[in-house]
Amino acid sequence: MNRQVAAGLQIFFIGRVVALAVLVAAAHLRAEEPIPQPRTSGGCPVESRAFYECAMAQAKTFKVPRTAEGRPDFQGFWRSRNNGIAYDVEPGPGSFSVPPTAGEIIDPADKKIPYQPWAVAKRNELRTKGFEDPQGHCAPSGAPRKNNTLFGWRIIQPKGYVTFLYESMHDYRIIPTDGRKHLPASIKTWHGDPVGHWEGDTLVVDSTNFNGKPWLNEAGEITSHALHVVERFTPVNANTIIYRATLTDPIVYTRPFTVEVQLNRDPEGEMLEVACHEDNQDLAHMKDVKDAGVGLEKK
Amino acid sequence: MKSAGRRLRPPLLSAAAFAAALLAAQVSADQAAPQTPARPAAPARTATPPRYAPPRLANGKPDLQGIWQVRNTANWNLQAHGGSYKTPAGLGVVVDPPDGSIPYRPEALVIKQKNWTGREAEDPLEKCYLAGVPRTMYLPYPLQILQTETEVAILSEYVHTWRWIPLTPLDRYPGYESWMGDPRGRWDGDTLVVETVGHNDQTWFDHAGNFHSDALTVIERLTRTAADVITYEATMTDPKVFTRPWTIRMPLYLHRDMDRILENECYIYAEEAGKPIRGQHPNE
Repeated sequence: MNRQVAAGLQIFFIGRVVALAVLVAAAHLRAEEPIPQPRTSGGCPVESRAFYECAMAQAKTFKVPRTAEGRPDFQGFWRSRNNGIAYDVEPGPGSFSVPPTAGEIIDPADKKIPYQPWAVAKRNELRTKGFEDPQGHCAPSGAPRKNNTLFGWRIIQPKGYVTFLYESMHDYRIIPTDGRKHLPASIKTWHGDPVGHWEGDTLVVDSTNFNGKPWLNEAGEITSHALHVVERFTPVNANTIIYRATLTDPIVYTRPFTVEVQLNRDPEGEMLEVACHEDNQDLAHMKDVKDAGVGLEKK
Repeated sequence: MKSAGRRLRPPLLSAAAFAAALLAAQVSADQAAPQTPARPAAPARTATPPRYAPPRLANGKPDLQGIWQVRNTANWNLQAHGGSYKTPAGLGVVVDPPDGSIPYRPEALVIKQKNWTGREAEDPLEKCYLAGVPRTMYLPYPLQILQTETEVAILSEYVHTWRWIPLTPLDRYPGYESWMGDPRGRWDGDTLVVETVGHNDQTWFDHAGNFHSDALTVIERLTRTAADVITYEATMTDPKVFTRPWTIRMPLYLHRDMDRILENECYIYAEEAGKPIRGQHPNE
């Protein structure tokens, strides 16, 4: 992170309740007086699908820098352009702890997670229990959420690997690209077992062996141990990667769905420590949030 | 490090010498005619073996990559100790001072004794906290080293800890304080030297309560001395707590039976087991 962001996050951690109050206030402000947003990014419109089509056209002519192994060189510090996936992947007006979002789902066309009926009910129940979010308990967030946190992450590419070091919660994902198989099904993990390969200049990361516990975001979107995530990282210019993740989970969803965001290089990004568990006051704060939420509901 | 008081026996070389001696004994036994009395085995050759040539990256620097782990009890106590409840015995890894003791200032030794008494509850690892530096390097969990020409990453299975070590110049934050410190790496010949400052005063060196202040500087030296061994050395300087710098040394062994490290989510497991480390669940 850069120093300004660091200072901001310090405030974020000092008072998450305060931060949430600010978010709520900001949401109200936005409703009344829209804050002007840049309409283009890297010469492409910012809306997900339009951006994707435009950027993929750019990618065809982009001469990507390469590593000694001849693969696209992604090394450096990156951050997600919007943190929408971390809040809510479906379009929505926002709620107590979730800012308004245009949604990041590019398939299906209605931008909704294709839940099975039981899973919708479960999600709606969890939506009122933000304090149950495992990330608030400092659990690893899994893919795709981890790539969309408020914090940035560093990519390094030692021979035979692409490795993500996340600032948030000092997490990492080590992605071997040597064609190895997944772990035995009996091993379940928070992050999943990532195995990568290259399709042209696109890094494809296939993850299984999830334990079914991570939420997709703060909005209570659920997964199961049957989750299978395929992420695709396509460089479109020197500072932009298109990131898509397709989630398949026959226990929770009726069909696969795909989210898309862009990742941007942050040349000033540094790797600072975010020691979540050691400094975690979230359980106490979340209780406050919960009580405040109950208070609001009563009004 | 300043001086190596107690020399660590190079294990693979000793094994090789032992094997050579065995072989020599076997050969002489085979050659011995039945009617002549057996002669003592020829002494093993003592010539200096060739220095180990490590695999290298394209820029000629030694390749330290792999999954590594210690086989000692440094995590429980850096100093020599007998076995006790839940603690395996160990010969100690402090090589300087030569007597293997950690050179505490008198007032700091009092704190160490207090830590020792309260270790079952107060050891930061009992709370699943980050283990800090150097303790992360000798936990009973594997760690993976990944490396490019410009950076080194050391990734521990224990609560998904990364150490990111830039080999290129990078300014430090004044006053930066953290659990894992702020490391910078450089090569000294074939040895990776990592200098880490910016520690907080919350981590311990081991379960025995050996501790430091936020004035700690750790200089680590990693040298691949055999195909399966990194000789790991760390020198601690902390004028608030110690009367002089002191050094530990131990081998890290290569895991040949693991192609990846897994997860150990200590505090989440504690919560799932109904023993949350901190805080109360909002439902309660």
